[in-house]
Amino acid sequence: MNLIILLAIAFGGALITYFLGKISQKIRDIFAVFISLALAVIAACFYNVSSREIYYTGFLDFPFVLRVNTFSWFFAVTIAVIGLFSIIFSLNYIRKRGNTDFYYSMMLLVIASMIGIVLSGDLVSFYIFWEIMSWSTFLLISYNRGPAISAGMKYIIMSVTGSVVMLVGIVSLYLHYDTLVYTELSGLLNNASSGYILFIIILFFIAFGVKNAIWPLHVWLPPAHSEAPSPFSSVLSGILIKIGTYGIILLIFVIIQINVFLNLGEGILSVRYIISIIGVITILIPTFIALLQDDAKRLLAWSTIAQAGYIILGIAYGTSESVAGGMFHFFNHAIFKSLLFMVVGAVEYRTNGVRDLNSLGGLIKKMPVTFIGGLIGICGLIGVPLTNGFVSKWLIYKTLILNNSPFLAFAALLGTWGTILYSYKLIHNMFLGQLPEKYEKIKKAPFSMQLPIVILSLAIIFFGIIPGLPLHVINSIESGFGMEPLTINIWGIASDTGTINMLNIFTAVLVIGIMVWLIFKVSKKSTVIGQYDNYAAGTTVPKDKYNYSVNFYDPLCRMISPYLKDFIDDFYMSLARSIKNTGNGIRRIYTGDVGHYVIYIILFLALLIFIQINWELW
Amino acid sequence: MDRNKLGKWLQSPGKMGQKYSLHALYFCTGCGIIEIPPTITARWDAERFGVIPVATPRQANLFLITGYVSVKTLRPIIRSYEQMPEPKFTVGFGSCPINGGMYWDSYNTIKHLDKYIPIDGWIAGCMPRPEAVFVAVTHLWTLIDKGMADGYKKYREDYHYYRENQEKILGKLEWPPLFSSKKM
Amino acid sequence: MVMNTILEIIIIILLAAIIGLFFLGLSRKIMARIHWRYGPPIAQPVIDIIKLFNQTSMSHGKLFNFGIIFSLSGSVVVLLFLPLGEMCPLSSSGGLLVILYCMLIAPLGLALSGGEAANPITSIGISRKFLLAFGYELPLLLILLTVMTHFNTISIVDIVNMQLQTGWSFQHLPLLLSGIAYILILPAILDLRPFELIQAPQEISSGPMIEYGGKFLALATIQHAFNVFISLSLFTNLFLGGAENPGYFFLKMLIVFIILLFVNAVTPRFRIEQAIKFLWRWPALLAFAGLIIVSVTG
Repeated sequence: MNLIILLAIAFGGALITYFLGKISQKIRDIFAVFISLALAVIAACFYNVSSREIYYTGFLDFPFVLRVNTFSWFFAVTIAVIGLFSIIFSLNYIRKRGNTDFYYSMMLLVIASMIGIVLSGDLVSFYIFWEIMSWSTFLLISYNRGPAISAGMKYIIMSVTGSVVMLVGIVSLYLHYDTLVYTELSGLLNNASSGYILFIIILFFIAFGVKNAIWPLHVWLPPAHSEAPSPFSSVLSGILIKIGTYGIILLIFVIIQINVFLNLGEGILSVRYIISIIGVITILIPTFIALLQDDAKRLLAWSTIAQAGYIILGIAYGTSESVAGGMFHFFNHAIFKSLLFMVVGAVEYRTNGVRDLNSLGGLIKKMPVTFIGGLIGICGLIGVPLTNGFVSKWLIYKTLILNNSPFLAFAALLGTWGTILYSYKLIHNMFLGQLPEKYEKIKKAPFSMQLPIVILSLAIIFFGIIPGLPLHVINSIESGFGMEPLTINIWGIASDTGTINMLNIFTAVLVIGIMVWLIFKVSKKSTVIGQYDNYAAGTTVPKDKYNYSVNFYDPLCRMISPYLKDFIDDFYMSLARSIKNTGNGIRRIYTGDVGHYVIYIILFLALLIFIQINWELW
Repeated sequence: MDRNKLGKWLQSPGKMGQKYSLHALYFCTGCGIIEIPPTITARWDAERFGVIPVATPRQANLFLITGYVSVKTLRPIIRSYEQMPEPKFTVGFGSCPINGGMYWDSYNTIKHLDKYIPIDGWIAGCMPRPEAVFVAVTHLWTLIDKGMADGYKKYREDYHYYRENQEKILGKLEWPPLFSSKKM
Repeated sequence: MVMNTILEIIIIILLAAIIGLFFLGLSRKIMARIHWRYGPPIAQPVIDIIKLFNQTSMSHGKLFNFGIIFSLSGSVVVLLFLPLGEMCPLSSSGGLLVILYCMLIAPLGLALSGGEAANPITSIGISRKFLLAFGYELPLLLILLTVMTHFNTISIVDIVNMQLQTGWSFQHLPLLLSGIAYILILPAILDLRPFELIQAPQEISSGPMIEYGGKFLALATIQHAFNVFISLSLFTNLFLGGAENPGYFFLKMLIVFIILLFVNAVTPRFRIEQAIKFLWRWPALLAFAGLIIVSVTG
């Protein structure tokens, strides 16, 4: 199987889907699912294959290089699988909306371009796929119209700025080294001056940082994630922003080698520390802001930024354990965050678009499967032992502590405790508490929504108990980068500085859980009562207003909210305003009067002559 | 007090537990609230008998109704009683719950509380001294020992009768019947 | 080998249950004596549990049941990570970081169970619980990081063993600061006054436990007993040199607990924001100073 065929299927499928929709909706749905399934299966077939294909298209004499190795396989499979689940989830979600052909083909186009990015072997094709992805994402974010348009606008402006900066970097690399193919580039930068490497890092970091929503560049993400259709939110949050992570890994480990990267600067002022600190800030501030949110999807959007901080922290810290933790967290985050967006999407679908946490409640009685998905999702997000998020965070913390960076570890750990607060708020306000009377007749989520939720929940538990499988892949990626591999086994990690064995923990939890359950079961059976038979100091429970969910963490929020003004967003908005004003001012010189234009020309010529006489520049 | 006799504990742990761990729910409707704080705090120390006040009926097994019961407070009393887990014991404290006491001709006071919920024991007096609570508790112990403190069973069996009385005075009740007995 | 481990596990769980329940009973007795009362017998919590298991109970649904089981099993699992003398069945499965994460299972389970109860007062209690946890986790994380950085290991067994060689942690200056900070936050972890605002019977009718009766309350009491044991045992292991022999270990825990009880008996209750402000001020400052000293001196 050739890589070019995979890409042809991906892009062709997107195109055909659009035209099939004109014939029949049902065929189009089946075809879209089939294409994404095919992508997932074909991508999975490239396991342990490492090959390169070079095509000469004649475009400015650049070769078009495709390559696959464990690194790109890992990302491609994650993208394809999450994409598949998200398409399945869309089937019911999007059915009653308008313009569904466009939706499906754009969805497939985004997935195709992401696969293109991770499979491309040179920076030119990388850039082309990158741009396809940015534009198709923009179209999908503004799919809902209304506030979604301005959210999309924010996204595309930041994204284009990022891409332009990246283009400068690519051109600069080409001018210096005359090649843009990864394999030829890597190693060439060994001899470059550290100033030049820093320049390249900053340029690329801005581009990738916009996609990955690193702290000062994150402002596009909350509106975009909350306004996009929910299945696409899960793609956005689960994998699309991780393309930024892919870029950063590519930059640090492939283009600039890891040993060069670690030796840039010294001590606290070294590049790895500065990026790590940025990662920590990316964890802390969005975690606190997420606490203040009342919109379910906006809360998850802020949480996405915070979790991206862990990935950046792990990768930038640069020890083999932390990089493994970062990459594993990428994988885990893709699973649990898309799951959580799907859960919110299912609730949104059944309640006709309600995602305000203050007006929901008690839905566990009506949508139990969705609730279990949400519960496992937040457990993964928090990192409760036996879910996948635990092992990746454990790796990051451990290496931070043992390498004497306790303050970074402290900030990262504190972020986890903030995560507990907001994720419990999410699940409590949606599913627990009193069920409002208006939701009495809600039905459970349709099968096409439950299926991805169930599979992703099982995946969280599975990879939490058997972290060895993904860690094995990550290990071979790391040895491909020339790093010291970890000593792993199927149940965890066994190094002499600290071991973790999920099998032991799993057995202990299982056995003790069963014992406690037996005690519970043997003792007297309890009668099941409804939600209105409840302690209310002797009075009967008022219907529809006996719930505590508004301002759930009010005492803390009152304390912290003055410090959490989003000044970054204000800064960008004022920048935008001043650019607009400047543009307005410039526009005024076009008066439309020919006489004025003649005067401009004469003045300009006079200026040139003046300069020439005085300084003789020409 | 046979609290320290291990043989009895092994013989009937449930009964012994109920005797020596009375989690009390105080329903202080009127005057009785004055007598309860000294009973549970340092002066008389109810905790040495294992009697400890709890906040919600779910955790309680001793229901202490002190003072007169007006029609309005009857509803929370019934509600709280029904929310308590079984086995549960009720003690009326003071003359008023027994027969209306000084409110014997009042238009809005309940005269006989035991028409509405079963009462296992009474403490007469207006008001009884705190020591009387302990007399009641020790008396309740003997009743539990002999299996005579069976108000909750009566409530289950004659639920029809109690519910009828409740509805007669309170009108239609907001909550569904606790037991769907065949007599209903 | 396997039989040995199973035996160890059973001994640890039984010992923890007995010590935890003894501490609960003792706390009631000591509180009574400070109040100039006679007080209940020391076995009163056991009597309560026996009674509660013999009562009927009301359940609000599957999650209501699952939450309490989850909570209790979470607490028991933490026990297996804590060294009790030579015994530590899960010593090689992740160390102190796993303990930190497993300690969160118990409140999460109670919170889920309480959430299903659909009672707003439960939710208020849970909200307070998480806020208070957030309050005391900040100094606690600093403290644990100080200890881990000082001994340069994440394994609690190693920490105990190193203390056998170099003396108690309390003898080193930075760890002394952390130890004092830990004592300051212990009442918050154990739900004692002045931080007894989660149950707060007079105010929010025992908070998360509000719908618990019968066996639910019994399991919650046992969980609380385990929690008392875990918190004190963690402190003893980290700062007081762990257990050379079980009796000595018990004595250390007892002394710390009695100090806490004296504070508990005479103080009123904080409001939640006062509690967070206190926890983020003094204990956090002490712990922060300790961490700075440790990370500078290496």
